[in-house]
Amino acid sequence: MTRFQIIAIRLLLLALVLAAWETLPRNNIVNPMLLPPLTDVLKTLIQIVQRAQVQEAILVTAAEVIVAFIIAVPLGALIGVLIAEYEYAGQIFKPLLFYVFSVPKSIFLPMFILIMGIGFQQKVAYAAFSTLFVVIMSATAAVESVKADHVLVARSYGATRMQILTRVYVPSMMPILLETLRISMIFNFTGVMIAEMYASRTGIGHLIANWGENFQLPQLFAGVILLAAVAITFNEAVRFLENRVSAWRT
Amino acid sequence: MKPNLTVVHEAPARPAIEVAGLNHTYAGREGDVPALSDISLTVSAGRFVVLVGPSGCGKTSLLMMMAGLRHQTSGKLDVQGQPMAAPDPDRVGVVFQEASLFPWLSALDNIAFPLALRGTPKAEQHARSTEMLNLVGLTGFGARYPHELSGGMKQRVSIARGLVQDPPVLLMDEPFAALDEQTRMTMGHELLRIWSQTSKTVVFVTHSLTEAVYLADEVLVMSARPGRIIDRITVNLPRPRTYEMMGTETFAKLRDRIWQQIRKGE
Repeated sequence: MTRFQIIAIRLLLLALVLAAWETLPRNNIVNPMLLPPLTDVLKTLIQIVQRAQVQEAILVTAAEVIVAFIIAVPLGALIGVLIAEYEYAGQIFKPLLFYVFSVPKSIFLPMFILIMGIGFQQKVAYAAFSTLFVVIMSATAAVESVKADHVLVARSYGATRMQILTRVYVPSMMPILLETLRISMIFNFTGVMIAEMYASRTGIGHLIANWGENFQLPQLFAGVILLAAVAITFNEAVRFLENRVSAWRT
Repeated sequence: MKPNLTVVHEAPARPAIEVAGLNHTYAGREGDVPALSDISLTVSAGRFVVLVGPSGCGKTSLLMMMAGLRHQTSGKLDVQGQPMAAPDPDRVGVVFQEASLFPWLSALDNIAFPLALRGTPKAEQHARSTEMLNLVGLTGFGARYPHELSGGMKQRVSIARGLVQDPPVLLMDEPFAALDEQTRMTMGHELLRIWSQTSKTVVFVTHSLTEAVYLADEVLVMSARPGRIIDRITVNLPRPRTYEMMGTETFAKLRDRIWQQIRKGE
């Protein structure tokens, strides 16, 4: 199958799903109260993004996501690199981190609320916490992906420590680092959403939870489309970079 | 077990490599493990010397010491008249097993890597590495990435990288071990051509006795751990070497002698 054919089939499938979303509820094959037709949802989407309350919620959520990301990624990367580079640190902390990594982070959410209330800080803290471990694990893997042979070659040609870092470590790790960025954003976004849906006064997650409880399904689906669009756009943008810097990995 | 056929060279002004009374031990699970014992050798400038010996005899360690990448416990090791306290690309180029090219750099950028490290101007880097690319017979392949090159081509790039700074000494650690037999023969032949055009001092580590005899001016045989030099065999075959020489009796005798020495040393 050619690349063109594959893309054509993908688009066809997408069109089928969207068409079903529109026609099934319209013809009462699916209850339109539970699944409002696509065009209704899109109309609602255009309406709600013009509302001040929704715009404010979008800004709050965006700020939470960005701040949590800025905290979790460098911190996790630093810890991950230290663990990978220092043997004893790795031996001591790796098992502990793996244990915490395996626990669903959402069970800690009530503790964050008890300690920090339900404001901006708590959302950021919880989202950063739920992202941190995956960044640590991936950063460790990134360092371990650097080949000792390559470091030896660089040393044999007189590379300084700084040159080994910039000319061997960074390019070796770049594909995994970008992948980490992408995956940590998924965790981070999820963290913010869960925190907002669980207990909050504002934010898109809060609105979605409310719309669900009040049975406002067009609004609920509009919120879902909005968030999905943002998440997919970020993911694809990083994946595009990833493919560009990791062509040599094939 | 002293070598019974020591060849005395007419000593040139300064040997390229001089090792005397070198010992090396490393810390093992149960105390110090002797790895190299009382190694003494001299490599004259421009000679092609091959190190052979059983696995784990320390020949790669010895080579890494010549490269300044490892340090001996005691004894003298001079390259171009000076000890190797740290890697020095002005004196020594190294070609590793399995090519060890950087997969994210093109062939040309891999060759230029040692020059880039020292901040050579871009134009000069390009000119110099293109010259090396041509020397190793890869004209036109500069833009290819390692994963687009065959095993033999990768080693050609690796040799070019070793030569790009024009060091007087080239150290090669089993560079053709991962290649198939046919490519290996071709690469050996190519290496001799490159060597004759650049007049480097070469120290070459290998497991292959045929390769050793085919390439070397002189073969140094090492014993099993702790590694000692147990024989020093001069290969009197004329140069340029040809594939036909492998079928000669002289070749077979030399090869056999190395083999006997390795077995004795195990």
